[in-house]
Amino acid sequence: MIWATRAGCHVDRAACAWLIRRSIDNEATFIFVEDPADVPEGATPFDMRGADLSHHGDHCTFETMLKRYRLDDPVLWDIARIVHEADLADERFDAPEAPGLDVLLRGLSMVLTDDEVLATSAPLFDGLYEYRNRALLLGREPS
Amino acid sequence: MLAYRMPREPSTPRIAVWRRLRRLGAAQIVDGLVALPLDARNKEQLEWVAERVADAGGEATIWIGTPATRSEEAALVASLVEATAAEYRALRDEALGAEQAEPAVRRRTLRRLRRALRRIRLRDHFPPPEAEDARRALDDLGSLVEVPG
Repeated sequence: MIWATRAGCHVDRAACAWLIRRSIDNEATFIFVEDPADVPEGATPFDMRGADLSHHGDHCTFETMLKRYRLDDPVLWDIARIVHEADLADERFDAPEAPGLDVLLRGLSMVLTDDEVLATSAPLFDGLYEYRNRALLLGREPS
Repeated sequence: MLAYRMPREPSTPRIAVWRRLRRLGAAQIVDGLVALPLDARNKEQLEWVAERVADAGGEATIWIGTPATRSEEAALVASLVEATAAEYRALRDEALGAEQAEPAVRRRTLRRLRRALRRIRLRDHFPPPEAEDARRALDDLGSLVEVPG
């Protein structure tokens, strides 16, 4: 499937792209557009105005995706808290990782193209998943 | 810029939008018209606020605009700067005041003020010199705080 989002990928979109490839569509192709009107027919838009897979109420797009695709893996919901705070910083969750993740992704988007940001951030999210998974299993921060 | 109008009732979404705009550091030009400096993040955040307005049965449009004169722009920026400068000053004063407090109080105050500083910085688009003073006062307070084992 082809998935379309706004150019200039930041944390919410990078996390969503990682989630799509990991849990929804492992052959996903991503395209980046400047305007919602430029989304080609047949492509699924996400994290842009007017798209269903987008912010809703207090939710960022990553949280919307988990709900829409009924992904109830607690580790993914744990990552959703971090992505939410990195994206919105509304202090709904206690996520001390968020400001760091925000800066890392912001920095990557300054030196890389959108395709490169997704390719580079994917292992970061793989690692975050593994870390939070171990933390949840152990009930404490893993060493 | 975001031009918006929302139904008076229910008031919960209206207050949520107002809080969000305040947290983003938006300048209110007139009732229902707010502005942020143009960058990708601000534009995106305003788009999400617009979605929220629409979800609540209101109308919202995003505009990219410039004040017609430099003095109008300067007045708008000055009002934002004055408001954040006052917040930084209050934060610095509180940090200085906590230097003499009990160690436990000092630690709690530091934690709270650091969160407050981060919140102000996120909505501060034109940092005044007071920003640096506040940061330094918090660093000084931090050097006095002993981390419990």
